[in-house]
Amino acid sequence: MDQFTISPSSGVPIYKQLFSQIERMVLNGYFTVGDHLPSVRQVAINLEVNPMTVSKAYGLLEERGYLTRLRGKGMVVAQRDEAVSEQEKFKVLNKMISDLLTQAQQMGVNEQEVIALVTASASKNTMKSNKSKE
Amino acid sequence: MPTISNISAVINIKNLTKSYKNEQVLKSLNWQVNQGDIIGLLGKNGAGKSTLIKSLLNISDIDSGTVTIFEEEHLNLSAQTKGKIGYVPQENDEISWLSVNDLIKFRKQFYHQWSDEKVSELTHRWDINTKKTIAELSPGQVQRVLIILALAPMPELLIFDEPAAALDPAARREFLKEIVTLANTENITIVFSTHIVSDLERVANKVAILEQGKICYFEDLDATKENVVQLTIRHCDEVNIDVPNLLRCKKHNQGQSCVVSQVDQNWLIKMQSQGIDITVTPMGLEDIFLELTQ
Repeated sequence: MDQFTISPSSGVPIYKQLFSQIERMVLNGYFTVGDHLPSVRQVAINLEVNPMTVSKAYGLLEERGYLTRLRGKGMVVAQRDEAVSEQEKFKVLNKMISDLLTQAQQMGVNEQEVIALVTASASKNTMKSNKSKE
Repeated sequence: MPTISNISAVINIKNLTKSYKNEQVLKSLNWQVNQGDIIGLLGKNGAGKSTLIKSLLNISDIDSGTVTIFEEEHLNLSAQTKGKIGYVPQENDEISWLSVNDLIKFRKQFYHQWSDEKVSELTHRWDINTKKTIAELSPGQVQRVLIILALAPMPELLIFDEPAAALDPAARREFLKEIVTLANTENITIVFSTHIVSDLERVANKVAILEQGKICYFEDLDATKENVVQLTIRHCDEVNIDVPNLLRCKKHNQGQSCVVSQVDQNWLIKMQSQGIDITVTPMGLEDIFLELTQ
C-alpha cells in the first residue's frame, strides 16, 4: 500500500501530485480496469496528509474518467475508451516534452540538438532490448 | 480577502483590537474559521499569533471587537461549548507537582465527554510514564501530555499554539499523524499556529498569515500554491515589462524574475503571442510566505 509518494514542500499541491501519479499508474497499466484503490482514509493516514487532499485527487480522477465509484467498494479503476487513453498518454508525454525543451533552452541547448539526443537515446534503447532478445 | 458565508462559522472575529503597553498588537482584526477547516496560522516571531489565540479564547482581555465561538459570545461561553474546545498552549501552565495520572483525573471532572481509551492509547503510544509528575518529564513529554489533555474530551474545535515547538522531528511526525487521524473524524475544526511550514503543508487546507496586526492573507492552501508563482521572463529590453498582480520583481541581464499573487492568463497569452518567453515555476509555501510578508 506504499505505492504513493508525495512531497509536501513542493510548489505543486499535494492533490495534484497524487492525481498525476495515479493517472500515470492507470495509463501505464500498473493499475488495471477493476482494481480497487485504497480508501481516502487509508491513503491519508499512510501519507500523513489531510484526507480532503486525497478526496480532491480522487474526485478529479473520477471526473476525468480514470476512476469510478462502486457502491460498497469505493474507488475502482474505470473502463476507458482506447482512443481516449491514447490521447491522454500523449498529453502526459507532451507535458514532459515541453518541460524537457524548456530545460534544454535554459541550458542553451537548441531543439535540433535535443532531437538528436532523443534519437540517440531511443536507438540505444532499441539496441538494448534487441540484445536481451538474442 | 475572500468573503465567506456566515453559515458554518465556528469562530467569528470582528474588529478585534488588542494592545500591550500602549502598542497595538492586533489592529481591528477580522477572521472567520469555518467548520471542518484545518488552518495553519503563520506569522513572523512576535507577529502576535499567541496573542490572537489567547484573545479569542478569553485568556487575555481584548480592547475592543467581538468574538463568537460556536455562535456564542466568547466572554460568555456555556459550559457545553467550553467542553467542545481543546487548547494546547505553548507554555506549560499545568500544575507541575501533580502526577500525569492525577492531572488527567483532575481535568476529567470538568468535561461531559472524556475518552479514557484515547488517553490510554496515546499515553502508551507516546511512552508516557503516567506516575511521573509533570516536573519530572522532558519538555517534549510535557507537550505530549498537554496534547492528550486537549484531545481526551473529543473536542469539536482544537486550537494549538506552536504545538510542535518542543518536539523532536520523530515526535512531530507522530503528532502530525494524530492530526491526520483527527482530520478523518467528522465534525472537527483545527487551528494551529506554527512557524514550521512543512508541517502545515501536510495537514492544513487553509493558510492564514498574521502580519502588522491583521490577517493579511487567508486562502485555500492548494489555491495558494497554484496562484503564487514565480515568472521568469526572458527579453533583451532595458525597460522592465509590466506584470499584473506583481509582488516582487528583479531585473537581471537576460530579463526579469518576478513573483505574482496570480498569473493573469490573458496577459500571459498576449505576451507569449508576442514571442516573449515566459516560464511559470511553482513555489513552496516557505518561499511564498516570505514573499507575502515582505
